[in-house]
Amino acid sequence: MLAVAIAIGFVILSLLSPAFLTEYNLYVMLRSFCVVLVVAFAQMLTLAVGQLNLAIGALGGLVAIAVGGMMEKLGFPISAAVGLGLLIGLGGGLANGLLTVRTGINGFIITLATASVFTGINLGVTESIPFYNLPGPFVAFGVGRFFAVPYLLIPPVLAALLLALFLARTAPGRYLLAVGGNAHAAELSGIPRDRIIVLAHALSGLLAAIGAILAEAQLGSAQPTIGADWLVMSFAAPIIGGAALTGGHISVAATALAVVLVVLIQNGMVLAKVDPYWVQFLLGALILAAVGLNRLRAVRVEAA
Amino acid sequence: MRVTIDSIGKSFPGVVALGGVSFEVHPGEIHALMGENGAGKSTLIKIVTGVYRPDRGRLLIDGAAANFASPRDAIAAGISAVHQERNLIPRFSVGENIMIENLPIRRGLVDYGEAHAQARRFLDMIDPSIDTRAEVRRLSVAQMQIVEIAKALSLEAGLLLLDEPTASITDHEAQALFAVLRRLRSEGKAIVFVSHKLEEVIALCDRVTVLRDGKVAAAGELIAAMSRSRIVSAMIGREERVAEIGPRTFARGTPALEVRGLATSLGHKDVSFTLRQGEILGLYGLVGSGRTELARALIGDARILAGEIRLKGAPISIADVSDAVRRHRIGYISEDRKNEGLILAHPIRANIAITIWPRLASRLGLLTRRLEERAATPLARKLDIRTPSLEQQVGKLSGGNQQKVSIAKWLAASVDVLIIDEPTVGIDIRTKTAIHELIAEITRAGVSVMLISSDMPEMITLADRILVMRDFALVGEIENERRYEPMSRRIMGFIHAGLEAGESQQEASHG
Repeated sequence: MLAVAIAIGFVILSLLSPAFLTEYNLYVMLRSFCVVLVVAFAQMLTLAVGQLNLAIGALGGLVAIAVGGMMEKLGFPISAAVGLGLLIGLGGGLANGLLTVRTGINGFIITLATASVFTGINLGVTESIPFYNLPGPFVAFGVGRFFAVPYLLIPPVLAALLLALFLARTAPGRYLLAVGGNAHAAELSGIPRDRIIVLAHALSGLLAAIGAILAEAQLGSAQPTIGADWLVMSFAAPIIGGAALTGGHISVAATALAVVLVVLIQNGMVLAKVDPYWVQFLLGALILAAVGLNRLRAVRVEAA
Repeated sequence: MRVTIDSIGKSFPGVVALGGVSFEVHPGEIHALMGENGAGKSTLIKIVTGVYRPDRGRLLIDGAAANFASPRDAIAAGISAVHQERNLIPRFSVGENIMIENLPIRRGLVDYGEAHAQARRFLDMIDPSIDTRAEVRRLSVAQMQIVEIAKALSLEAGLLLLDEPTASITDHEAQALFAVLRRLRSEGKAIVFVSHKLEEVIALCDRVTVLRDGKVAAAGELIAAMSRSRIVSAMIGREERVAEIGPRTFARGTPALEVRGLATSLGHKDVSFTLRQGEILGLYGLVGSGRTELARALIGDARILAGEIRLKGAPISIADVSDAVRRHRIGYISEDRKNEGLILAHPIRANIAITIWPRLASRLGLLTRRLEERAATPLARKLDIRTPSLEQQVGKLSGGNQQKVSIAKWLAASVDVLIIDEPTVGIDIRTKTAIHELIAEITRAGVSVMLISSDMPEMITLADRILVMRDFALVGEIENERRYEPMSRRIMGFIHAGLEAGESQQEASHG
């Protein structure tokens, strides 16, 4: 159904606006697709185990600044800075997971608190001053393209394929969904429930870091504000993609399609010269519609 | 595998679930574990499978002490179980659910072809008609139970525990299961079989251990040497447990609540009974027999498909719970006090007054603490709720006092009919007596009580008449003569279908 909506949107936009199907516009759309996709995946993984992660954006901001600082101030090679940035993301997610599991406190509160901690470190270190002088090849990667396909698209697509494989065909991936589907049953089946929840949070942190580095390459500078606007979108895409908030039911493909749909709508509104603030409004309406639709289906299944 | 249970004890707040239980399960035998509700069977199974840790005592496997920190450890030690509650992942396929503990992996990836093939093998032992690729949530209850059993078989464990495995499957499937169990026995596996169906136990098992009130009433007796009645006696105990509230003088009043031919969306079929004014009508049955569900239907929390409900002679329809409470004055005290009955973080005052907030509010619609106190204080005093102040959080009270608050809340609402579900679960003996006296007391004031309980002594102490429910239908009605031994024998007779039930039914119809 998402695919149909996208196809219709595509046709309408290409008929209405001659600018839509130009190579440059497609490039712009694909480029704005990258970060959002990875961020959506980061939230999707915590949703899979029936948790959520409010710290995605804050952790992303911290990683972006750390990577930028390492490259500009400390002179680290790009690969080292990126590698360490990913480790920070993984570590932040790991901390979220361990805190949630060890204390038994709801992940909502834990990640709300760690979000503030991450943002605090970020702003404390940078004093809100961005890093503008990033290494040439890093920035070039951010703007480079092969016809309409930005290089920036490579990591998210790889991440999507690996995630789909992970969730569908590896034991830890299946365990993740099993814990989300029925945590008690999973535990009685010998699945190490706590470790799986920690794994979901750690991977969520790693994906947030990937999102941050992509955003940094896209902007060409390390802004402390990277990640500040991720939260709504991170929930919107998995939920429009049919994820169950109670856990156990997510789809990589549907989440990706949901991101495409949202990007398409955003692009359409830009082409139609609608005030960009209304995009927020539409996103909210879309979430409500998606949740309502899921509910309707659930009710129908029960009635049958 | 030889499993030795050595003086294992386990307590939960306010209740001793197991008080020093010892027996042994040998390799190559099917060992029956029997007992009434609450005797400690499920707790024992949860200890052996690593869900709970024992407070005292040891578990030995082939003579070596086993110390399970989680179900994972127990599985690694070769123990698998079919628990009473459903433990499947709804959106996973049948095959994946069966193999989830041991998914076949090839080159790092799950090999689904192999997983389904292996699952097929275990499923075929019981029911070849279930598709391993179907999603579990689309199966019927019986099919899910079979998947659970196949899942336990797939571990090829040394010890297999089955807690009421035949509760929801057909006789045909049960026979297939028994054939598999007999084969596993001949292969030297140890099997523990929990069931309420005496016929099954006698036909299948080699030895039987009976638990009563968390203690062993019969340890590993040979089934061949035990008669049916000796097993039942071990389960209910010989001693007469004297009713502690004394004789009840209760005049056969007018009908308060009449139910005729009730069928509900929860699965009740043709349920009919009459609750008289000032009566305590007991509703006994095993867990899952539909007692709590009947209560939910009566308070408007389930759809009524057929039948009639009359209140003081007039037919009524109950739209929803608030309609039942406010218009018809039917109250319900849930067995799950903590999650469904009380608002633990709120003070006693608010918990009692909650049912009458609209009535209490002043003309401006304001609700003051003073108004709540005025309503709650006399009730708290009457029910002897032990607390320094009505401002005390309910969560900080003992279980017994919490239950008193639950009752007070319905007295405040001045209900005519009160359904009380498991009123004394997790409550110590002394407070239990106080609660019993309280329930008797409110009926003298004209409230009609429907008492749901799995606690046989409680039932025989309190109820004036006892209805027995099995599989969402009433299967017996007995006048309570308050002698423990014959009463419990007759009630269990209704529940254990077969010869004894036939006898009891005759007795009941003659008596």
